[in-house]
Amino acid sequence: MTDTIVIGGGLAGLAAAIRLAQAGQSVTLLQYGVGGLQLGQGTVDVLGYAPELVSDPFAGLDAYVGGHKGHPYSLFSPDEIKASVDWFAGLLPDLLVPGDGQNHRVPTALGAMRPTYIVQSSMHVPADVTSVAIVGLRQLKDFYPKMCAENLAKTSGWATSPYWLDFPARAGGVDSTATSYATDLDDPDTLARFAAALKKAIGNEDAVGLPAILGLRNPQVWSVLAEAVGKPVFEIHLGPPGIPGMRLTHELTQEALRLGVRVILGSKVIGFESEGGRISGVLHQQAGRDKVYKADNFVYAGGGFESGSLAMDSYGVVTETLFGLPLAMGQGDSGPLPSHEDLITGDYWADQGLFLAGLAVDSAMKPLDGKTAVYDNLHVAGGILAGAIRWSEKSGDGIAIASAVRAADAILDAQSAKQPRNEGKE
Amino acid sequence: MKNLSADIVVIGGGSTGVGVLRDCAMRGYSAILVERADLAQGTSARFHGLLHSGGRYVVSDHESARECAEENAIVSRIQPQAVELTGGLFVVTPQDDPAFGDKFLAGAQSAGVWVEEITPGTALRQEPRLNPGITRAFRVKDGTVDGWQLAWSAIASAKEHGAQVLTYHRVTQIHSADGAVNGVSATDLRTGEDVRIACSFVLNCAGPWAGDIARAAGCSPVEVVPGRGVMVAMAHRLVNTVVNRCIVPADGDILVPVHTVCVIGTTDHKVSDPDHLEIPRNEVQQMLDAGEVLIPGFRQARALHAWAGARPLIKDDRVSASDTRHMSRGMAIIDHSGRDSLRGLLTIGGGKLTTYRLMAQHMVDFMEEQTGNVHPCTTADEMCPGGEKGHNYLITHRLKDREADRLESPIICECELMNRKMFTDLLKAQPNSSMDDWRRQLRIGMGPCQGGFCSARVAGIAHEESAVDADRATGLLKLFLEHRWIGLWPLLHGDQVRQAALDQWMLHGTLDLDHVPSSKGVEPEVTKPKEPLVVPASDEGKKSTTEVKEGNND
Repeated sequence: MTDTIVIGGGLAGLAAAIRLAQAGQSVTLLQYGVGGLQLGQGTVDVLGYAPELVSDPFAGLDAYVGGHKGHPYSLFSPDEIKASVDWFAGLLPDLLVPGDGQNHRVPTALGAMRPTYIVQSSMHVPADVTSVAIVGLRQLKDFYPKMCAENLAKTSGWATSPYWLDFPARAGGVDSTATSYATDLDDPDTLARFAAALKKAIGNEDAVGLPAILGLRNPQVWSVLAEAVGKPVFEIHLGPPGIPGMRLTHELTQEALRLGVRVILGSKVIGFESEGGRISGVLHQQAGRDKVYKADNFVYAGGGFESGSLAMDSYGVVTETLFGLPLAMGQGDSGPLPSHEDLITGDYWADQGLFLAGLAVDSAMKPLDGKTAVYDNLHVAGGILAGAIRWSEKSGDGIAIASAVRAADAILDAQSAKQPRNEGKE
Repeated sequence: MKNLSADIVVIGGGSTGVGVLRDCAMRGYSAILVERADLAQGTSARFHGLLHSGGRYVVSDHESARECAEENAIVSRIQPQAVELTGGLFVVTPQDDPAFGDKFLAGAQSAGVWVEEITPGTALRQEPRLNPGITRAFRVKDGTVDGWQLAWSAIASAKEHGAQVLTYHRVTQIHSADGAVNGVSATDLRTGEDVRIACSFVLNCAGPWAGDIARAAGCSPVEVVPGRGVMVAMAHRLVNTVVNRCIVPADGDILVPVHTVCVIGTTDHKVSDPDHLEIPRNEVQQMLDAGEVLIPGFRQARALHAWAGARPLIKDDRVSASDTRHMSRGMAIIDHSGRDSLRGLLTIGGGKLTTYRLMAQHMVDFMEEQTGNVHPCTTADEMCPGGEKGHNYLITHRLKDREADRLESPIICECELMNRKMFTDLLKAQPNSSMDDWRRQLRIGMGPCQGGFCSARVAGIAHEESAVDADRATGLLKLFLEHRWIGLWPLLHGDQVRQAALDQWMLHGTLDLDHVPSSKGVEPEVTKPKEPLVVPASDEGKKSTTEVKEGNND
């Protein structure tokens, strides 16, 4: 029996678990996969496009939410979102660099300058940089420096020059993954060899852009490299598995463990028990026999369609797959969903309505059936919330953190109303 | 304006056209093929992949059945790399009349098609996912065939015999003087350059578009009745043998394992415009229901992609035009010298991909009857290039190849095991081509991720190899994803929804593709003529100007 069980090891689940553990709760985190962070770029997006480029993600939020009824951000004030995101950045001060009220712009492998609010220190590009060497690795198939450089010249204003480095992660290998490189660069000897090769390869540009492979466990790889080549070095976003996302997952998990969170990996929550309008336990799929974990409160942060928490069957019926919760198209909507024929259209570039579908919640992040909370002690956070196309807006991380903080605080508030706590929230 | 000349111009780069080109070239004629898009971009790719044993026709049409049996053996021999010898089954499901099995056996015997009845238990051991309630089962020699491999290897053979090929060229006019064809005008859709080919004979093999070509020669309308068929590819081979329902041919009665997927097909609806084939959701549902009858649990399996093809049937007054399946499968050749008093033009319609070589033989024989030249047809005797290894395609062949060259070249498309060298070799051979052209030859983006992982790599490599500039590379990437979506959205459900969400995260979320500069109009609009075809006055204004929609041919 723990105070709270958190389901899901992505950004929302880890943030909720840490927030609750910081306040002294006993927390169990049940995590099936590797967490959603490594599917993305390992930064914290708040709002990047509305749909035009956003520079201050908090300033325009009220207007944006006003025009997008049902957006998850309608549940929060901009100040609250900022406070939650700042709290999150404070968890890992060495790793995370907030944007000081403004979005950063970080290059992607295709050569876009992607807006995001918090970057990792390895991605930060000093403002005075005007020329950049874009360096690819011959054995890494997910990054093509010439294409990246040519596009960046148009999107960033930098003068860019592409370079290839012939540096197999394994001797004789021609097909090395970002993960192999990142693991290798954690090793100081390999890093020194890499730095020497890099220095030799590039010209007199102000800075060096490399694919996001700069260390998995050693967050200082980028600064060692920068020192060795004598100029700033920064990471460029690649597709999954994303090294910066793995790095962030690792650091957050370490923080959770340090705070006493019990993390149980690799098994799926496949059912639940309830009585009197409360969840009493969740059924965890385990070798031998399934096991029921009991708790006073539950935070469900299982993610969206990409994670399998939301699904659509061959007849077009959309469901939340664990608790069977009612679905809506946005906050304040009480469902039912439109027909699936209206949720998916033939225009590839349009936002598909299906991906707005999810859960509508009350102010304590409890999923609603109409205007009533379905279970009194079930709170949700992150990608499962209805009302936003996160990949288009670049808003998924802000939604995850703000909802996780709110869910955790609602649990703590309810607890302190019952019994005064000794410790403060932070 | 470029001027060329040849004995014969073949119009249409589907299986019929490439077969006719090869046959002409092997008989010693100089021949040029003109195709408005890529080879096997239309009907010859938008099918289920079945290389008929003839079993499907043993009750209804003995001649077709016999031809299929013979041609199946020939194609497997001369183009082994395009064919997988899967074998086939005809099964009587609990919904079907077991007595039809007797007609089936009798029909096979008189048509000379090899059939062997086996017990349902034996069939279930061979294909354990089959409906356990089947009451009878018959083995046949069905195979599966890759329409692109078939077309490209036939073209390679034709080129060895001196033929030329102009893809992405639209025919604008067929010229004649004194009642005889004397040339063809076409436009290179990629460069805008006009080409005039002097010739003495034109063989119209444009399939569902044959009517448009006949009009370009000023002939009275040839009525082609395109029959639209919808097919659905499942992400796995639920069966390793072709499975047919042992019934009078109907919708959704064939499940074909081809490469890494299996395909259920097909529906049949008369349509007016082969350039604009819908994939109606109700027909996708119909296919899923039909799959359930053969394989219980079919709806829980991962459906990958849907497409629609147009059967190229020339209207035959003997049957109702609303029921194209029961029109003659046998080919029809229209002789325009009698019909339109225009010598030097033949139009072919109907037929089946399995019998493409025989159709070509008939057409070229017919031409020689008119010209009085006589050369023997040798297309069944000579193997096409690429088949020298002599054995048929195996599902595991790419795995074996990648095991061998894993230290030489990285795998760019993991789903279909395509490595970088395969792609850069193709780039050298066809530098000015699109991502869909590359897909048709190498199967890029046809696996479960539908291009999510590999398409950006392919764009990067094409640019790196200087085949395209950055704007065009990104433009091709965006166009490719649009085209993949055509075959995804009408059937999106289950695990493929999850994949679609992941692909959105990768390409639009992480890589921010939407904000990468790109050129528009990277590919010609093949279905929209730059200049209208020459049409009789009465038909003016009816000419279709539909937009290009391609790529829904998994």
